[in-house]
Amino acid sequence: MTKKYETEAPGYTMTTVMEEAARCLLCHDAPCSKACPADTDPARFIRSVRFNNVKGAAETIRENNALGAICARVCPTEKYCELACSRTGIDCPIDIGGIQRYVTDFEQAAKMDILKQGKSNGKHIAIVGSGPAGLQVATTMLTKGYAVDIYEKNEKAGGYLTYGIPEYRLPNDIVEYEIKRIINLGANIHYNTTVGDDIMMDDLKANNDAVVVAVGASESKVLPMFADNENVETAVGFLARVKEAKGNITDLPENAVVIGGGDVAMDVATTLRRLDVKNVTDMAYEEFDEFKASKKELKGTREAGVTIVDGYVPTAVNGNEVTFKHRHIDSEMTIKSNKIILAVGQRVNAANLNITIDKHEEVPYAGYGTADPKVFVTGDIAQGDKTVVWAVRKGKEVAEQIDKMIMGSTKEADLVGGNE
Amino acid sequence: MIKKDLSVDFLGVHFENPFLLSSSPVGNCYEMCAKAFDEGWAGVAFKTIGPKHFKVDEVSPRFDELTKEGTPFVGFKNMEQIAEHPLEQNLHDLKKLKENYPTKIIIASIMGTNEQDWEELAQLVTEAKADMIEMNLSCPQMTSHDMGSDVGTNPELVKKYCAAVRRGSDLPILAKMTPNITDMVPAAKASMDGGADGIATINTVKSIANLDIDRKTALPTVDGKGSVSGFSGKAVKPIALRFIQQLREAAGMEQLPISGIGGIETWQDAAEFLLLGATTLQVTTSVMQYGYRIVEDMKNGLMHYMEEQGIDHLSEIIGAANKSIVPVDSLNRDYKVYPKIDWDKCIGCGRCYISCFDGAHQAIQWNEEARRPTVDIDKCVGCHLCNLVCPVGAISTGEVVMKPGREGNPEDIKIESPRLTHF
Repeated sequence: MTKKYETEAPGYTMTTVMEEAARCLLCHDAPCSKACPADTDPARFIRSVRFNNVKGAAETIRENNALGAICARVCPTEKYCELACSRTGIDCPIDIGGIQRYVTDFEQAAKMDILKQGKSNGKHIAIVGSGPAGLQVATTMLTKGYAVDIYEKNEKAGGYLTYGIPEYRLPNDIVEYEIKRIINLGANIHYNTTVGDDIMMDDLKANNDAVVVAVGASESKVLPMFADNENVETAVGFLARVKEAKGNITDLPENAVVIGGGDVAMDVATTLRRLDVKNVTDMAYEEFDEFKASKKELKGTREAGVTIVDGYVPTAVNGNEVTFKHRHIDSEMTIKSNKIILAVGQRVNAANLNITIDKHEEVPYAGYGTADPKVFVTGDIAQGDKTVVWAVRKGKEVAEQIDKMIMGSTKEADLVGGNE
Repeated sequence: MIKKDLSVDFLGVHFENPFLLSSSPVGNCYEMCAKAFDEGWAGVAFKTIGPKHFKVDEVSPRFDELTKEGTPFVGFKNMEQIAEHPLEQNLHDLKKLKENYPTKIIIASIMGTNEQDWEELAQLVTEAKADMIEMNLSCPQMTSHDMGSDVGTNPELVKKYCAAVRRGSDLPILAKMTPNITDMVPAAKASMDGGADGIATINTVKSIANLDIDRKTALPTVDGKGSVSGFSGKAVKPIALRFIQQLREAAGMEQLPISGIGGIETWQDAAEFLLLGATTLQVTTSVMQYGYRIVEDMKNGLMHYMEEQGIDHLSEIIGAANKSIVPVDSLNRDYKVYPKIDWDKCIGCGRCYISCFDGAHQAIQWNEEARRPTVDIDKCVGCHLCNLVCPVGAISTGEVVMKPGREGNPEDIKIESPRLTHF
């Protein structure tokens, strides 16, 4: 029953990846490589694949991105590298995500250890949250020689990677492998430890040279009309439940309504269908020409047999009956279902962390610094996009900023010494 | 990023890695070579410098490519001759390259029409501080019969000109050989007898790559006419490898210093030339197609190969394959190995069936209902054409049997797939 939920689409073989790499035009000044928020260099790694140097390709990906195998699978490449691809002038863009998946799978199969822990500089960093941003901060800091402790409230690391994105899109084995790689690099992860509850921010500040808060938006929002409705479940809760059980959950409804039009809504709706829920209807606030979910996700959801109705907002609920109205036309529909799942956005829980979060579920200022010079924010709670690839970017950027702050003066001193 | 020492020593000269631009359009002036050095090439065989009295006069257009299915540049045909810049300019560029890139290796490729030319050019490039001389005895499209491959197929002329260059310079000398010859050994020996220190090979193969079938002449057409001229690129790699092997097989030439040329574009190509005894590697065609940047993956891939092989210096593998390549009459002919078909991998295309029936021994039976092949071992000779045509790698080597009446234990026989690609 869970096979459809657990099975990832097949990746390239050595032959088919070369066919795809051979489509690459190997552009001068390649546009794809300028389009990645995380500074991945697809032009470089595809060229390596093209010239049979898959290990070199793996180095290019991994040295830039602690979560290369994950980004390969979940990045909305259609908005970045593949949007920029010159090949679209002929037919369709190179499947950059697919090639990256082949390369990182090869890296894993060949047991390559590309990243090395830097020589210890005697400095310590604490990271609150082990989602993608926190993991990237950890990786960058470890390669620079910092000691890194990560505090994770759950029993497993990875945040939304582990508890959110469904198995068919991101197998847990891949997430675990990426995290293991970071642990092997020297990260010390404290599981089941909530900062502000089990351990206090002041303690972290006292024992570290910097503290990075990367808690993310880990809780689903609930529209007031759905509060305390026993037919309602949140997307975050549902996805976590299914992923932990590897799809083996017993209380599946006969039919379900999903409310939301982002990638999370698509994941919930597709998961339901893959678990053989017969009728799944997704009601989206946005119309298709302004849709939030990626094209890939939308396509997958449609192929899974989900009915997607765009442009509707819920206006009333009575038990398991929800009434929706179209935002622009005079249209109303009422759906009765066994289950209502809300995927209408997520909220940040930053209790006792002394971080101000505004109504956009992020800090009310740009950048990564906070009022406390020792405390930084990154990931979804920092301003900017909320995707994995942006988490990687923000993780790298905050790591560089902290390194500059801590080591800046030391490095200048070294430089002077070196010139003598 | 992996770091390994790729340096090689060749004719007493230290190269930071084996990768050089070959004497051709890709190393035609200072700016080109400087860019190539900046991108990681260890040196250049600068485009061949001729005597002042030889006027280079090129045609337009001058290139053609061989394609197969969607793949461009399977082979490349060119009609260029030697450097078109004035002699003084070329000498000036050599000198400036050496001054600005002292650790890079500058090989002066030269070509004369007579002994005096060769000797004078050798003197001039030596004065220009080149590290090494390469004698171009092999360009197949020179407009003078006193130059190029017409000379290179004549051992007497080769010896005489090598002796002339030896008189003109104390630098290490490479003699660049033509593949447009049945046996390269006499010309190579003559060059060594004349004073050369090593061999560079192959130059381009005389060719007609394509015809314009409407205008009824060879491509590229020049005012309605075409010509035979030199062919290079991936398609000539097998020819280059065979010449290099045969040079190293010849009595007394087992340690012959070789600069390998011919279709190199990946680190595997490089490894193949090294394993057959080349110490340095020269590249043009793939640079013309893709640019100098290809050296990055050749270097990096070769480092990973060294890591896999557990070696610290390329010298440990140079020539390592020579001894296991033997005459065809020395191969073990006592056994055959049957193909093994993995039905889980098989996608039912039937290409193995077609190729076996039409191109081999009608030994694959085709189940029309199931769309699956089976091997008829009574008919199968173990040629493994089926393995090569299978698009998904479903066919591998299976059971080994001794031929009737032959001695030997099948388990002692080393069996490898004829195909390099693993799916």
